[in-house]
Amino acid sequence: MKRVLINGPEKILIAIILLYSIFVTIVNPSFLSLMTLFDIIRSASCTMVVAMGLLVVMLSGGIDVSFMSVALFGGYVSTLLMMQTGINNIAFPFIVSTLIGIALGLCNALLVHWLRLPAFIITLGTQNLFHGIMTTFISDSTIGSGILPSSLGRFGSAAILQFETESGLMSLTASFVPVAAAVVLTWFIINRTMIGRGVVALGNSEESAVRAGFSPLKIRLFVYAYIGALAGIMGVMYIAQVRAAYPNKLVGDELMVIAGAVIGGTKSTGGQGKVLGVLLGTLVIYLLNSTLILLGLSSSWNDLFVGALLVISVAITSYQTRVKNRKNLIFTE
Amino acid sequence: MAEIILRAEHISKAFIGVQALDDVSVEIHKGEIHCLVGENGSGKSTFVKTASGVYTSDAGTIWLNGHSYTKLTPTQAMNEGVQVIYQDLSLFPHMTVAENIAINCLRQTGKKLMNWKEAYRIASEQTKRIGVSLDLNATIMETSMANRQLTAICRALAQDAKILFMDEPTTALTKQEVDNLLKVVVELKAAGLAIVFISHKLDEVFRVADQITIFRDGKKVGDFDPRELDQKKLAYHMTGRDVEYPRYKRSVADDRPVLQVEGLTKKGNYQDISFEVRRGDILGVTGLLGSGRTELALSLFGLNPPDSGKIVFEGQAVSITSPYHAKKTGIALLPEDRSTQGMFPDRSIRENISSAMVDDIVKCGILDLEREKGLATDSVARLKIRTPSIETLIGSLSGGNQQKGVIAKWVATDPKLFIMDTPTVGVDIGSKAEIYEMIQRFASEGMAVIMITDEMEELLANSNRVMVMADQRCVAKLDEEELAQPDVEKRIADMIGSAYRKGTEKR
Repeated sequence: MKRVLINGPEKILIAIILLYSIFVTIVNPSFLSLMTLFDIIRSASCTMVVAMGLLVVMLSGGIDVSFMSVALFGGYVSTLLMMQTGINNIAFPFIVSTLIGIALGLCNALLVHWLRLPAFIITLGTQNLFHGIMTTFISDSTIGSGILPSSLGRFGSAAILQFETESGLMSLTASFVPVAAAVVLTWFIINRTMIGRGVVALGNSEESAVRAGFSPLKIRLFVYAYIGALAGIMGVMYIAQVRAAYPNKLVGDELMVIAGAVIGGTKSTGGQGKVLGVLLGTLVIYLLNSTLILLGLSSSWNDLFVGALLVISVAITSYQTRVKNRKNLIFTE
Repeated sequence: MAEIILRAEHISKAFIGVQALDDVSVEIHKGEIHCLVGENGSGKSTFVKTASGVYTSDAGTIWLNGHSYTKLTPTQAMNEGVQVIYQDLSLFPHMTVAENIAINCLRQTGKKLMNWKEAYRIASEQTKRIGVSLDLNATIMETSMANRQLTAICRALAQDAKILFMDEPTTALTKQEVDNLLKVVVELKAAGLAIVFISHKLDEVFRVADQITIFRDGKKVGDFDPRELDQKKLAYHMTGRDVEYPRYKRSVADDRPVLQVEGLTKKGNYQDISFEVRRGDILGVTGLLGSGRTELALSLFGLNPPDSGKIVFEGQAVSITSPYHAKKTGIALLPEDRSTQGMFPDRSIRENISSAMVDDIVKCGILDLEREKGLATDSVARLKIRTPSIETLIGSLSGGNQQKGVIAKWVATDPKLFIMDTPTVGVDIGSKAEIYEMIQRFASEGMAVIMITDEMEELLANSNRVMVMADQRCVAKLDEEELAQPDVEKRIADMIGSAYRKGTEKR
C-alpha cells in the first residue's frame, strides 16, 4: 500500500517556506527562534481552524464566504450570553458558539441544496444576512476589554507550554489546542470516514456520487455544518485573543482564508485538496505577514506578496493542466 | 438452455408524447453476451434504464433471478446483481483506481469508517479476476480511457454483478484496446455473467454476440442468432430500409492541387509526411489511434504547430498559425471529439451554425439576426438536420443530427479544404448514410476533403485516394486504380496491422 503523502503543491510550498526562511535568517538572524514560530502559530491559529472547514466545503465542490460572519455571530452572541447569564466558564461560549455555527451552517446547506444556485452567491447573501441580523436585532455595541468576561481574556493569553529564555518569556498559546484538534479531526474525516470519502466523491462528480449511493443533501448538510462549527469555535478564539468583541470585525477577511486554501492546492472545482496543503498555504501567508518587519518592509508589502503568491500558484496549476491537455491533443488556449 | 437471469415482459414506457418502449419482451440468460442494437432513439437506452430501475415502466413486469417486479427500484435491481456501466463511466476523476473500484461496495456495507486495506484488497481481487493489471494508486485522470473502462468493470464486479450492461464501451478506445476489452468481456461470459452489450459498431457486435436483439422506434424487431445475420441484414432491420453506401467517384476536372504537404514533421507526432489533395478529392486517411493522423489534422488547422516541412495552399506556401488563420485560408476541421471541441452543446442550432462566421454576418458591429436565422434555416434544410426548431439546443439532438449541425457550421464558411476527423463517431446508421451522401456531394461540387477514419467500409465507400499511416509515418498511398482491386480491404488491414505488430515488437 504505497501512497504518496507529499506531492505537487505541497512540495513547492515546503521549498518556498524553507528558501524564504533561509533568506529572512540571513537578513535578520533573530528570525530563527522558537519565539517566531510561536508567534506565527498564535496569529495564524484562528485562520487555520476555519481553513480546515473551508477545505472540507471546497472538497465537496462547494464554497462558503459566510464563515467569518458566522464566526462573529457565534462569538459575539455567546459573549453576550455569558454576560447576561453570568456564567464565566470558557467551555460555555465554545459550546454555544459551536451550536450557533452549526445552525447557521445548516441554513447555508439547505439554501444551497434547495435553490440549486451557486454556493458562492448564496453564502455571499447569508454573509450579509447573518451579520445584518446580528447588528440589527441583537446588538451592535462593542464589548470592550473592561466588561469582557474574564475567562475569555484568560483563555486568550493562556499558554500550554512556557519557558524562560534569555530573550524573555516564550509561550505557546492555548489556541494551539483547537487548531491541532481541528487539523487532526479534519484529516481523519476526509481520509478515514465514509462521509469524508462521500465529500470527496461529491466534489469529483455529483452524478457519479449519487450513482454510488451517496446522498448529496446529507453531505452538504454535513460540510456546511462542519465549517459552521469550526467558525463558531474560531469566533470565540478571536474574541479571546483580541480581548474585545467588536460587531464589525472579521467580516470581510474571508478571502485571505480562501487564498490560503487555494495556495495550498485546494481546487475551487472540488474533489482536490489536502489538509497539509491548506496548512502550508495558510502558513506561507502568515510567514510573509510576520516577517516583513524583520526585513524592514512596511506592512503594505503584505498584500502584494500574498497576491503574487496566489496568482503564481494558480498559474502553475493551470500550466500543468495545459501541458497535460496538450499531451492529449486538447488545445484550449 | 441456460438459466434466465432477466426477463422483461411486455414493457412499455412513454415520455410526454413519445412512446419510448412499446410492448418489449427480452430474455437474458446466464453466460451469454446479448447485444442490443438500434438507431438512436430506438429504445435501447430506455430499456436499459427500465431494467436497472432508473425508470419505472408504465406497463409490464421485470423478472430478476425468478423474482417479479412491476415497480423496480435501482436498489432492488442492484441487489439482484444488475450493474450498468454508462457511457460516461461515472468514475471519480481525482480519486485512485482502487478507491473507484471499491467505494460503491464499501459504502453499501454501511460502515462509517473507510477501510483502505479492504479497498485495496477488493481492487486487486477484481483486477486479478479479469486478468488485467491496473495501477491501483493512479488517479482516474492519470489513467487511459481503456483502463477507465476496466476500472468501471471491476467496480461492477466488486458489487457482485450477475448481469452487466455496457453502454457503448468501445467508443473512445483504440483498436488494440477494443480487442483487449472484448477479450475481458468474453472471459466474464465464460465465468457465468450475463453481458448486455450496446454498440453502434456492428463489427464488434458480430465478434462477441451470442444473441442480438434489434430495436426500432421503441419496438423490438426481434431476437436473432448472429449466424443468421450479416451487417447488411442487421442494418436493414435497424433502419427498416436497405442501407447502401454508394462508392464515391471523383468527377471534378480541375486537377490543380488545393493542398500540398511536403515533408511535414512534428517530433513525437508524425514524421516526413507528404501528400496532395485536389479539388473534388476525398483523401481517406487511416491508421491506428496514435499513428499521427489526428496530430497531423490539428497541424493543418493551425493547432499543434509542425517543426519542419512545407504546406502549400492553392499554390502559395503558407504557415498556418491558428484556427482563425486556417479559417481565413479556407480550411475547416471537424474535430474528433464533437461534444467538447466541435460545438456549444448548451446553445441553439442557430447559434452553433453561425458560430464560425459571426464576423461575416454583422452589420456595423451588430449581429444581423435575420441573416443568422436564414442561414440556420437553410442549413437545417440542406443538411437534413432533424430538429424541432432552429432554437433547439444542439446538445439535445441525437449524435447524427449534432454532427450534421457541426458540419453545417463549417460548410457555411464555404471552405476549400474540409478535414474531417472520424466524421461518424457516435452516429447511427441512418444518419451515417446521409452524412456520406453530403460529404460526397460537397466533394463533387469542388471541395477538397481529408477524411480520417477507422472504419474500412467508410474509408472505401467515400475516398478516391487513401493514405495509410502507422507509427507516425505514411506507409502507403493508394490511388483510384488500386482502390478498385478486390483485395484492397485486406491489403490496407495488413498494412495497419503489420505496422502495429512491428510497433509492439519494438516495445
